[in-house]
Amino acid sequence: MTPLRTPDTRAPRAARRTLLLPVLLYGTGLLLLAAAIALAVSIGEIRIPFTTTLAAIGNALGISDVPLDRIHESIVRDYRLSRALVAACCGAGLALCGAILQALLRNPLAEPYVLGISAGASTGAVAVMVLGLGGGAVSLSLGAFVGSLGAFAAVVALSSGAASRPNRIILAGVASSQLFNALTAWIVSTSASAEQVRGIMFWLLGNLGGVRWPEVQLALAVVAVAFVTCLACARALDAFTFGQDAAAALGIPVRGVRLLLFTVTALLTAAMVSMVGAIGFVGLVIPHAARLVVGPTHVRLLPTALLTGAIFMVLADLVSRLVVPGQSLPIGVVTALVGAPVFAIILYRARPPM
Amino acid sequence: MPIEAHEVSWSTAGRLIVDRVSLALQPGQTVGLLGPNGAGKSSLLRLLCGLRRASAGVITFDEVPLTRLKRRDLARRLALVEQSATTDADITVLDVVRLGRTPWRSLLAGWRGEDSAAVEQALARVAMSERRHQQWHTLSGGERQRVHIARALAQQPGELLLDEPTNHLDIQHQLDILALIRRLETTCVMALHDLNLAAMFCDQLVLMKAGRVVAAGEPASVLTPQRIHEVYGVAAVVERSPHHGCLQVHYLPRTDRPGPGPER
Repeated sequence: MTPLRTPDTRAPRAARRTLLLPVLLYGTGLLLLAAAIALAVSIGEIRIPFTTTLAAIGNALGISDVPLDRIHESIVRDYRLSRALVAACCGAGLALCGAILQALLRNPLAEPYVLGISAGASTGAVAVMVLGLGGGAVSLSLGAFVGSLGAFAAVVALSSGAASRPNRIILAGVASSQLFNALTAWIVSTSASAEQVRGIMFWLLGNLGGVRWPEVQLALAVVAVAFVTCLACARALDAFTFGQDAAAALGIPVRGVRLLLFTVTALLTAAMVSMVGAIGFVGLVIPHAARLVVGPTHVRLLPTALLTGAIFMVLADLVSRLVVPGQSLPIGVVTALVGAPVFAIILYRARPPM
Repeated sequence: MPIEAHEVSWSTAGRLIVDRVSLALQPGQTVGLLGPNGAGKSSLLRLLCGLRRASAGVITFDEVPLTRLKRRDLARRLALVEQSATTDADITVLDVVRLGRTPWRSLLAGWRGEDSAAVEQALARVAMSERRHQQWHTLSGGERQRVHIARALAQQPGELLLDEPTNHLDIQHQLDILALIRRLETTCVMALHDLNLAAMFCDQLVLMKAGRVVAAGEPASVLTPQRIHEVYGVAAVVERSPHHGCLQVHYLPRTDRPGPGPER
């Protein structure tokens, strides 16, 4: 008689495998991200040899100290590298927001742009920028944060009791986007100068052109804090699979977790919008792609979405700079061209309620 | 006495849904909550597991008021199976059952041997061990309900609350689920609609109407023709079945209104 294989004898091997797999996965992700950033930094209007680029990156990070052409080094360090890093942070942050909102609202279409949170952040930022609200004491980021919280409140109020009605929150998001976009257009068309208008319109579709090192620091800090917070809530997010009451019955302090994570999402969205404008569909597409790779469990989903989002955004920025020679498209155009069809596919695939 | 409710009331939007309900649950029993739609069965279950806060009255667990217990401690002792709860996520049977370990896991601790053991036991209990890797959305209604029960059992609760566990199931699966619940050693409280199935599978019945408990006790003392008429407005004859020995309710056609005929 053959002895029965008990789960105990398999446990050590399974444990080693479960440890090895994430290391491999995230290692590959980090390598891909580094490669994407290196690619984005080495390609541009002014041709810079690849070796110079690498040396300049090394210099910027303090790893190497190679004497280089000053202009070349400055282009790489102050323009391209900072731009690529902010792009990576934005992609990571928006993907994280999407994953969180999809779990909390139990809606596969939820993300900051679709729900109008980005629109609210834009309104807040424009109000500070054009109207000078707060008399200079209020920064653009704070304005965007207040705006995104306002949009969040509007969506929640419009869909009251959101989680039980999956489609209603999307409709509320549509209404909220329209409202805040109208407010933005009103502020811009009545108060801004012609030059400001052109700048703002470009910026509303997403623009990584103006970012420098201070933005890199802010973006990295915000994404890091948000990521750690969300990861700490990963099991709570899993518990939301069957809704709020089910989560509460599993011992999750539902109100506290929702409040914390909605605040983090609003803050993250606001930080990103105030730096680079409203970029749509990243938060929608990336979590779904990540789920295809690692499944729906949030401990694995969140880091995967973070890395995938970062890589996607760096590459999207590269495409936006290359696709029309001599000028760069707003990055929101590129992400929407990828994201809108995916939105349609998700909508089409959505299962009818049982 | 593990769980007791003392004069518990709950109202929402100005309407009184649960009206001064008192009851005590005996360990190991299977209790059926009966009553017409809107009688307050689901609300009472939600009050008992702390998902809603009573507007008056007290619920106690081993004489400790529910409001003084932490959500997590409550989840370790009490599990809830909701009415046909589902999800769009691409999640497997195993993933769902593992959710039951949520209240037992600390923030940083990984998956432990005792978690695996509880999940294995729960899967075996509902005969879903072989299908652990099946996707949730490919399961039938009855199978989903069994997985939900396994998830609840993985919580290793002292008491299990079930909100209409047989809803939307065909008769075979209804009998299947109820027999499964009946076999559990855990104290079970379930909201039910079918009086005959309740009489077959429950030790105790609680009959509710308009938020109040009309009768509570053994099936024979609760299911009388007078009470059935009082609560449901239906005439019935109740007798002991010669086939299975449980009470059997025969509903009679209405006589207070002319039936379908020429004279209307």
